[in-house]
Amino acid sequence: MSGHGGGHKGFGTRLIQAVALAVTFGLLYSATKLAPQLEGELGTVAGVGFLLLAGTLLSELLETIGLPHLSGYLLAGIIGGPDVLHLVDHHTVNALTPVNTLAIAMIALAGGAELRMSTIRGVAKSLSYAMVVQTVLVLAGMSATLFVLARFVPFLADLAAKPLLGVALLWGVVSITRSPSACMGILSQTRAKGPVATFALAFIMSSDIVVVVLTAVGMMVARPLIAGSGGFSFHDIEKLGHELLGSISFGTTLGLALGAYLRLIGQRGLLLVLLAVGFGLTDFLRYVTLDATLAFMVAGFVVQNLTAQGGKLLHSIEVTGAVVYVVFFANAGAHLNIPLLQKLWPIALTLCVTRGLITYAAARLSSHLADDTPAIRTWGWSSLVSQAGLALGIGLGIAKAFPTIGEGFSSMVIAAVAINEMIGPVLFKMALDRSGETRTSEAEVSRTSLLPPDPA
Amino acid sequence: MSGGIAVLLGLLVVAFVSSMLVGGRTIRGFGLPSGAEYLVLGVAVGPHGLGVLPRSMIQVFQPIFVCAASWLAFVVGLGYLIVGRRRVHFGRALAGIVLAAMVGSAVGAAVWFAAGVLDVLEGFPRLVLAVGTGFIGCETTRHTVRWVAERHGATGPLSDWLADMARASQLVPMFAIAVLAAVSPHAPLTEFAPPLRLAAGLGIGVIMGLVATVLLAREFRRDESWGILLGATLLASGVAMRLGLAAVATLFTMGLTLAVASRHRLELKFMVQSTEKPVLLPAVLAAGASVDFDAFPNLGLMVAVALVARLGIEVVRGFLLTAFLPAARKAGPRIGLGMASTGAISLALAFVLNVRLPGPATSAVLVIIAAGVLVGELVGPAELRRGLELAGETQLEDTNEVSPVSLRQSVLGRSSDFPEPPHSDAPGAP
Repeated sequence: MSGHGGGHKGFGTRLIQAVALAVTFGLLYSATKLAPQLEGELGTVAGVGFLLLAGTLLSELLETIGLPHLSGYLLAGIIGGPDVLHLVDHHTVNALTPVNTLAIAMIALAGGAELRMSTIRGVAKSLSYAMVVQTVLVLAGMSATLFVLARFVPFLADLAAKPLLGVALLWGVVSITRSPSACMGILSQTRAKGPVATFALAFIMSSDIVVVVLTAVGMMVARPLIAGSGGFSFHDIEKLGHELLGSISFGTTLGLALGAYLRLIGQRGLLLVLLAVGFGLTDFLRYVTLDATLAFMVAGFVVQNLTAQGGKLLHSIEVTGAVVYVVFFANAGAHLNIPLLQKLWPIALTLCVTRGLITYAAARLSSHLADDTPAIRTWGWSSLVSQAGLALGIGLGIAKAFPTIGEGFSSMVIAAVAINEMIGPVLFKMALDRSGETRTSEAEVSRTSLLPPDPA
Repeated sequence: MSGGIAVLLGLLVVAFVSSMLVGGRTIRGFGLPSGAEYLVLGVAVGPHGLGVLPRSMIQVFQPIFVCAASWLAFVVGLGYLIVGRRRVHFGRALAGIVLAAMVGSAVGAAVWFAAGVLDVLEGFPRLVLAVGTGFIGCETTRHTVRWVAERHGATGPLSDWLADMARASQLVPMFAIAVLAAVSPHAPLTEFAPPLRLAAGLGIGVIMGLVATVLLAREFRRDESWGILLGATLLASGVAMRLGLAAVATLFTMGLTLAVASRHRLELKFMVQSTEKPVLLPAVLAAGASVDFDAFPNLGLMVAVALVARLGIEVVRGFLLTAFLPAARKAGPRIGLGMASTGAISLALAFVLNVRLPGPATSAVLVIIAAGVLVGELVGPAELRRGLELAGETQLEDTNEVSPVSLRQSVLGRSSDFPEPPHSDAPGAP
């Protein structure tokens, strides 16, 4: 991901970028017209290249109007994706699942490694209040909102009160998820430093544990309500305990192993190790029903706080950011179901606006209780709007667990996440700019960019 | 864990080992210059060996291997005009191309006639067999020259000539594969004439090379450069593959365009160079696993014809060198055999050809080039060392006691691809 460094980019540079973007679109468009019958693997290679190049260029161009790079990546994916220009087909979007897996592993590792104990101690009070207030108010508020709006939602209109309560509760659970990837993406671009950035990072990374717990509890409570029979099953609690403790244990071991590698061998070959970890271990963790995101986050946290190798790990992950984030978000853009969004946008937008308002109100309340600094008081909420892969994953998990409401529920999650995915990063970037946390880092980045390249 | 993930992890391990081997920035003492050991490993784990890597699994990963080979072609193109930090001498490069084409023509002609005599292939497959064997296998791996230079501290006009000619010879197989893809009757763009298809393949490379050049025209930043380079190379190779063109030739052209047009050519070259072996060796391993010894009857005879023709024409090359190059006179005509080392690039290209035009002809090309790599490994470095010794360009008697200063002179200052390490801990380093 290209940061802010590199100094001011003039009109000439922007013009060149615009022409290069036009060439990128034109080349792939011509190829798809000349050989329309060929898709599959051949289309995947060109599709990945297109997402990477068009995402990078569009993000640079949108930077001129203050939008974050993530918006550019998403937009490149939407425009080139299966529902608009069809330069990237459905096969490519699905074939890029391993890249998403890798990206999520990298993001979780980086997120954990960014969390220093000293940082967490510094924002512990704000974090505790915000976690409780945000979780309770958003969960309750969004459950109530869906319950009230149910008559306008096609798949809920005829549902009785009891199962509707169960669905509303599940919607509340989905609503408390945030996007670690969007947070890390924006912080990686802006390299912002300050209370808002620190609070966002600490809150979003640690909220993953809360989300895992509440998803399990929510599904346990909702099951008898939606099914209309049976009671609570403590088997779910057992599974939850296994998932949480197993993930933390595994993450700790992995973190210590990575720390030992970095100490003994250094950064040489680390990129390949991270690729192997991202691809191989995610698959393995899924197989043994552990939470990969949590495990990688713990691993990053352990490397940062229990070894002296955190800087090296972060540097290695940053190197991949220029590629991994772009492909991840551009693919997310291509994945957006535009026809579905066209169909569900009124209800999805209402739910998103309500969630945003509740998040803002909860942030003001928690800031008041924790006596936060003015920056967090004013802008602390801004990072909590984004939703992306985590919400989609939980939404799809719920849809699978409750097939009677599954299709409608997952469609609504996809539509709502699409809106939050587009609006959230813009709000967070704006907050970081307004709070002045991107300005100091710009100077730092532009200084580092003048260093000669490492020829290794 | 799925089989695909297991294979992917296996390839990552190979790439990791490769990156470790080149991590010290020199290849002295680590592995063979052609990477032949990975070829043998590939054959051993492939269907003709232990069967750990079955053909179906290789087919699943074929697009990745083609991308890997295309990336290598890009790396070669980017460094094509530069040896170490100096530009390749035009005359030497031209001689390298002409002599490589001569070698390719001779081997191709021998294979063409042998195919007729043995009555194995006819028509387009026979042409593919002859052109593929001759021209894709005619390069001299630049790693051999460097390997000998590093081991024996070789410096001098003959070393420079051979280094430049070896590098220049890589143009011939790239062009050959582009021509074969363009004349293939199975291409999606059959409504266009083959010259137009050839021009389209190379043109895409030029366009994307220029796009990358203007995008990287500002100050050099590694993170931005990686994104742009990867995006542009993947797009160019993907479009070329989609249109049935030779993606490797497209990316070679793209690299060459960047090398000519970009003011950051050196930084870019050094940046991507570290990826060469980690990408190349898994591709060689896959090529080894794809070798099919049952491509057609009498394949062994065909291999023998091609190898004898290659060694014979290399001696002719040696005569020509001694006749026209004063520095080569002391080395004698056998110096030509020192250029017989076919490298991993040829092998990767043969593998790509086999993927692009599957059939007995391209399977045979892969087998013949694999055999050429092994024979070249036996003959090339030894003859090269002998020739350079006779020419008085080797400086060290004991191969295990290489002086760091002379090593750096030979590696960094003259015929190496590697940059001067900024924080070198070698004695005598600044």
